Amino acid sequence: MIDFELDPQQRQIRDVARRFARDEVMPHAAAWDREASYPAGTVAAAADLGLLNVGVPTEHGGLGLAMLDEALVAEELAYACMGFYTILMASDLGVTPVVLAGTSEQQERFLRPLTEGPRLAAFALSEPDNGSDAAALRTRARIEGDEIVLDGSKMWISNGAEAEWVVVFATADPSAGHRGVVAVVVERGTPGLRAQPIHGKLGQRCAPTAELILDGVRVPRANILGEVGDGFGLAMRTLDRTRIPVAAGSVGVARRALDEAARYAQERHAFGAPINRLQAIQFKLADMAINVETSRWATWRAAWLVDQGRPDAAASAIAKCYASDAAFAAANEALHVHGGYGYVDEYPVAKLLRDVKLNQIYEGTNEVMRLVIARSLVR
Amino acid sequence: MILIVAEHAHGAARKSAFELVAAGRALATASGSPLAALVIGADPSSVATELAGFVSDVHVVADPGLEPMRAEMATRAVVHAAETLGARVVLVAGSRSGQSYGPRVAMRLGGAYLEDVTDVSYEGSDVVAQRPTYLARISATVRSQAERVVVSVKLGALAVAPLADTTGRVHQLDVPFADEDRRLEPGPREAAAKGRVALEEADVVVCGGRGFGSSEAFERHVVGLADRLGAGVGATRAVVDAGWRPYGEQIGQTGKAVAPSLYLALAVSGAVQHLSGMNRSRVIVAVNKDADAPIFKVADYGIVGDVLEVVPALEEALAGRD
Amino acid sequence: MTIITILKHVPDAESRVHAKDGALDLSGATFVIDGMDEYGVEQALRMREAGLDAEVVALGYGPASTTQALRTALAMGADRAILLEGDELHDPLTVALALAAVVRDEAADLVFVGGKQADWDSAALGPALAEALAWAHVDWTTAFALEGDAFEAVHDVDDGSETLRGRLPVVVTTQQGLNEPRYPTLPNIMKAKRKPLDTRPADVGQELMVVTGHTGTERERRREMLEGDARSAAAELVRRLRGEAKVLREEGR
Repeated sequence: MIDFELDPQQRQIRDVARRFARDEVMPHAAAWDREASYPAGTVAAAADLGLLNVGVPTEHGGLGLAMLDEALVAEELAYACMGFYTILMASDLGVTPVVLAGTSEQQERFLRPLTEGPRLAAFALSEPDNGSDAAALRTRARIEGDEIVLDGSKMWISNGAEAEWVVVFATADPSAGHRGVVAVVVERGTPGLRAQPIHGKLGQRCAPTAELILDGVRVPRANILGEVGDGFGLAMRTLDRTRIPVAAGSVGVARRALDEAARYAQERHAFGAPINRLQAIQFKLADMAINVETSRWATWRAAWLVDQGRPDAAASAIAKCYASDAAFAAANEALHVHGGYGYVDEYPVAKLLRDVKLNQIYEGTNEVMRLVIARSLVR
Repeated sequence: MILIVAEHAHGAARKSAFELVAAGRALATASGSPLAALVIGADPSSVATELAGFVSDVHVVADPGLEPMRAEMATRAVVHAAETLGARVVLVAGSRSGQSYGPRVAMRLGGAYLEDVTDVSYEGSDVVAQRPTYLARISATVRSQAERVVVSVKLGALAVAPLADTTGRVHQLDVPFADEDRRLEPGPREAAAKGRVALEEADVVVCGGRGFGSSEAFERHVVGLADRLGAGVGATRAVVDAGWRPYGEQIGQTGKAVAPSLYLALAVSGAVQHLSGMNRSRVIVAVNKDADAPIFKVADYGIVGDVLEVVPALEEALAGRD
Repeated sequence: MTIITILKHVPDAESRVHAKDGALDLSGATFVIDGMDEYGVEQALRMREAGLDAEVVALGYGPASTTQALRTALAMGADRAILLEGDELHDPLTVALALAAVVRDEAADLVFVGGKQADWDSAALGPALAEALAWAHVDWTTAFALEGDAFEAVHDVDDGSETLRGRLPVVVTTQQGLNEPRYPTLPNIMKAKRKPLDTRPADVGQELMVVTGHTGTERERRREMLEGDARSAAAELVRRLRGEAKVLREEGR
């Protein structure tokens, strides 16, 4: 049976996120963007409401939210500010490999502290010279007794400087390609670990991004998730899930773009009438509505599959690719509807476009999404 | 008979009392029944005398426990009067006081309660009224199905009645108050604003929003303009939340509802909750720097501009005639 | 002790409510817990958190959809909920009599009610419930403190505010200023799923008042924008108010 209604609890979860987004995020989003400032207080407020690290299982103090619940939260927060949502989303990106591959002891050690305050995790796969091509990893991992030693650098790491710990992917054997990759939890403050903040981002400017430099970083072998060689598969299984919140965030941006465009088109007059009487504008609004609606269903279906215990790489990639492209198009049209006003920061639409561009890039570019989708078609 | 409960302050009847006289006269004429007034208070004799110029019979209940008003004391007095005098319709003011004892009186009389009505009349033998609902976006028609009915009349909804040409009689009424009527003990009071016209009774209301930037600027511009116009001072929820003005001045769903001849909305954006407290005003003026503010949709006259410039200009224009 | 907070589920202030051909059309409205009622839930929770040994029971009146408001109260922290299922158009006196029976059954000593319901625009439910219970009531309350069974409350009156002292039991009607209601948190939403929510039909007697029609209240407005700089617009406004609108008489009193 197909049911397109949210249940009462899902509605409540959405309403909490919606109210928080409206009252605590939306009023400040423009200032955070302008100043490129990290909203620590608002992240803490989100943690108080339970909106942070929603994927931590209940047995380790978390809420163990279903993926569909997470998608509802994502859409609402991204509606207010995609950059803000990225802070929360990137933390769950760090949490996910620990949930998928961590032992109960590791989960208790790493996840429980995240539920006890506004604490973030991070995920470090990309490097200065490689991204989704994980077989080209250069960060080296060497086993020395009970320790593992890491050397190299990681690029574009969301929450890289703020996270309590970061899951670092490194290769123990460059000649082994995928099969040489290991995932290791590295805690903040470990000697040799340094975070270099990255400035000058086009959008999502309140979400902190860093380069991580690992210079002889020693961590206990007990921090390895799974076995040496499991890392690549773990990274892929993680991204198969976490691309869904990226998709859901994109839906939020598209919905915001539609609302902003619809409002402006009602207020703005040309030729003696509101411009929303013009068919050219009506069609743009209709296209945006199509974008919102279709990308939401693709997203919810991918989430539903995860919640059914059948995570599907292609479904997640379709949702992420389609929703982020659709949101970029919606933001672009919303800006256009605003004319010259859309090009300055007096209205929020320019920020929507700058922010959502990243959704087409991170957690695998949309070209990589198409590769993932094609892989399920071509045997 | 039709009985009105006349409220008063500082030894004089409130404006609402004369609005009730108007409603009462219409109902009395329609039903061919007499009209009487009830005045309750510590010593309301001057008010009774004043009302005797408007109705033929004024009944007085004097008890020190009635001032300040306590709902259960007032309930006992009004119920006793209604039963003793055989009132079929009791009209009370839609004030905070009236809305406090009105429902209790209705229930104790076994009657219906038509609350905060903007219009009341007889249809056949039924009392029918109009009342705002859904944050004043809807007006509902309500009909009493009871032998007795208590009607609270929205402040400012009806025109005040003119003086009658006869002088009425004043009667004293003894009420058997019970101990429980006095179970709440009134403590210190804080007056809303000294010497200023009561918000609900004001013919002109000047209401200011957060756009004034500070409580000092609000005081200078909004209160200053209100003083010049002999107007009541109103504030938006945001202003009250910011602590610039007391709750008693808040207009809207969670504050007071007003319907003056002239409402000046200065730096008020016009959220639905606010509109529900002022959308019955006869003429609405809006000044806001945001040309898209929803307040302009309900305004008769709008000026797009900074209140800190427009209000001084308005003061100057008003002074022009002096 | 048991504290009861009364809840209604009402159209959101921002949603579209209108009347057509005498009938009310709420089809465009989203429903939420009445904002005024949230103050009561919050107050009860704060009293409990301050050490009062109390069970907080959310009691709703209305159609089955009112469970959503009750779930919100449970998610805020109420211990359990009761829905008295009845018609949303029942008048406050009828509703009060039905609610009073539950308050008595629950042996509650303190009841919070929203000061003014956003559906009926009614401030009558609190006083009517107190009357039905033969209790005292405090309306338009902005502060409430309990010490043993003695309370002190500050509430708004016509010309300002007043302090009242008394003893339980009492019905308190709440309003803005009493507190800042908390958001339900996700952990509490998850916990609320396991809290009891009991539904029973309202025992409604003879209705003494009926609603026979609805009309919209929107008025025709002039909607004239006065152009020019502040001085000329202000001068034009004063001319219009004295002239065509005739609402400015002798000022400067």
